[in-house]
Amino acid sequence: MDLAPSEDQIALCDAATKWLGQNMPLDGARGRNPALFDEMMAMGWIGMTTPDIGLDHASEALVFIEMGRCLAPLAALPSAVAARWFDAPGKTALAIPDGDAVDDAVRIFDGEGATLALGLWNGNAGSIALPGGLPAGACLDPSSTLAVLNPSPAPMVASDGRAGLHLALLAAAYALGCAEAARDMAADYAKLREQFGRPIGAYQAIKHICADGVVRAAVARSQIFYAACALDADSADAAYHVAAAKRLADSAALANARDNIQVHGGIGMTDEASPHLVLKRAHLLAFVAPVATRVLLDAVLES
Amino acid sequence: MDIAFSPAERQFREACREWLRANVPAEHRPLNAVDALDFDKSWQLRLFEAGWAGINWPSEYGGRGLTLIEQVIWLEEYAKASAPWIGANFVGVNHGGPTLIANASEEQKAYHLPRILKGEAIWCQGFSEPGAGSDLAGIKTRGRIEGDEIIVNGSKIWTSFAHVADWQELVLRTEEGSEKHKGLSWVICDMKAPGITVTPITKMNGQTEFAQVFYDDVRVPLANVVGGLGNGWKVAMSTLGFERGTGFISDQVKQSQEVDALIAKARANGMIRNDVVAEDLATLRVEVSALRAMTYRNVSEVIRNGQPGAEASVIRLFTAELGQRIERMAVRLMGAEALDFHYGVDNPVSDYLRGFAATIAGGTAQIQRDIIGERVLGLPRMR
Ligand SMILES: Cc1cc2nc3c(=O)[nH]c(=O)nc-3n(C[C@H](O)[C@H](O)[C@H](O)COP(=O)(O)OP(=O)(O)OC[C@H]3O[C@@H](n4cnc5c(N)ncnc54)[C@H](O)[C@@H]3O)c2cc1C
Repeated sequence: MDLAPSEDQIALCDAATKWLGQNMPLDGARGRNPALFDEMMAMGWIGMTTPDIGLDHASEALVFIEMGRCLAPLAALPSAVAARWFDAPGKTALAIPDGDAVDDAVRIFDGEGATLALGLWNGNAGSIALPGGLPAGACLDPSSTLAVLNPSPAPMVASDGRAGLHLALLAAAYALGCAEAARDMAADYAKLREQFGRPIGAYQAIKHICADGVVRAAVARSQIFYAACALDADSADAAYHVAAAKRLADSAALANARDNIQVHGGIGMTDEASPHLVLKRAHLLAFVAPVATRVLLDAVLES
Repeated sequence: MDIAFSPAERQFREACREWLRANVPAEHRPLNAVDALDFDKSWQLRLFEAGWAGINWPSEYGGRGLTLIEQVIWLEEYAKASAPWIGANFVGVNHGGPTLIANASEEQKAYHLPRILKGEAIWCQGFSEPGAGSDLAGIKTRGRIEGDEIIVNGSKIWTSFAHVADWQELVLRTEEGSEKHKGLSWVICDMKAPGITVTPITKMNGQTEFAQVFYDDVRVPLANVVGGLGNGWKVAMSTLGFERGTGFISDQVKQSQEVDALIAKARANGMIRNDVVAEDLATLRVEVSALRAMTYRNVSEVIRNGQPGAEASVIRLFTAELGQRIERMAVRLMGAEALDFHYGVDNPVSDYLRGFAATIAGGTAQIQRDIIGERVLGLPRMR
């Protein structure tokens, strides 16, 4: 048992953090150059768990947490899953079906240049072929475009249930990235902004909000590590642990994103400042592989 | 990263299970510290004789010399077997002993550590005072040095198990006129020494588990100072590190058992059909799963890099508040039966009332949040 990243994993993460910081800062999440996605692909960050690259889910999740912190493109999530389970290299868009019936409408996010979209139908990963000339509309998350297909083309569903867990785990990693980004943004601002002659972070009403953000992120990060290892080990209760990770990461992302806006005061709720970008991303991620309460209560856990 | 245990660790787990299955006492641990003393001592001795006390303590002092991983495995199995709380032994086992291992002289260690492990010596912690709780550096209990003795005067309060203890971790001001963190010493005080008066205090669940202690010219040999005269703050911080850190692993493991029992109960009494109850139970379940993951992560990091530092406060705070949420749920699932509680009853209501301690004792939730804000995030201090 070892639930701390290895030296190799730390090195991989550090390299990712460095590249992301230079090329993909969070505050540039709107209107990013599409070539950046291709670069991430070329560096092998998308499809790390394919037999070609052969890394484990834990290593991939670590990098996706870093990507999530910068609000990296949404398409990285479905593309990584499509590369591993659908033998579809290249960019795949994110599909969020309206309901579980196959002919319900489906929302397609971040679909420019993609010929496939991937999402979950009844908890199983499915891919749909995208028609050409998709409109590139706007949506809640300003980093992404949106097109609605109504009805949805029939999805081709993966035969292996782990494909759906893979998408849920990566979405959890992205959500944790939001939670950590919001936590750090709030703390940085609390050290900088002064009122009543002191940095606002000296006041406990602000300090303790920031501390709660640390706790939420630490809780979600721990469960994501565990879930990634459970998936790697093909444990019988991996589905539960991934669902638990997703549930905790989503609530951490939303709570930290909201708190971050409060810590910023007026500037926090403007279009110009970045806090809303994190909040909006967190809301979107909650719709990717949402977790049913029943699944959490009914799961039988290995002891 | 890997969640699988090695074959040797799995074998160790099997041995824990087997022994616990055959040896966990059928009778309940009595509620009050005095009534429970014999139970606590004989259970600790049985643990020691079978090799389950001090799993990660050095073998020269009676421990097993194994790692924190074996300690965690033992505590997991201990909770699963519904083995009794170690009660009066908890101060000595969880933080008194570890503080001695880290700071004490050879003679001190050789004398005290085996007695702690065997349940022969009960310890208590004399840190808090009527005027110094969260602000621990404000303590006023003083020690005047006379020859090779310290003459102690003052008072400590909320001292758990003081009325049954043999020894105390006593932090006092040994330098006259000193202030705050300076001039303090951490000493081993004999609780049977002349001049000590212990007044037990009853908690709101009816349990009498802590006390106020008065010192009237109590003589403590200078040889009982741990970590050097005037270094008491540093030694006390190491005690709190153990108290807030690894000392809580057993609570964490217990919580997961409790939540699964609550889910089973809610299914049995039909309350699970209430969506709000179901949602809250599911949240508790994922939170205890994450707590285990956090504990594993913490243990892995301690093994790799030494002590975890301020991150211990993160686990400590989460464990404390999660425990209280679980206790509240247990009471909620009792319905109006909760109203039948009275002193002497050992049920979820008693645990709920006792559980308020989790966010007060060992540093309040507010103090933990200060620590996280200041030491993890680097926010400015106000004090
Ligand atoms: C069950 C139990 C067992 C205990 N056992 C022991 C023991 O064995 N040995 C021992 O030495 N002590 C023990 N304690 C004492 C415990 O450590 C103290 O109660 C604790 O440190 C708080 O101190 P206090 O009670 O004086 O409260 P105070 O410090 O007076 O706090 C009162 C309230 O004010 C808040 N507060 C205080 N300072 C600040 C601040 N700077 N910022 C924000 N809020 C603040 C606190 O969070 C709390 O909510 C025990 C306590 C309990 C409840």
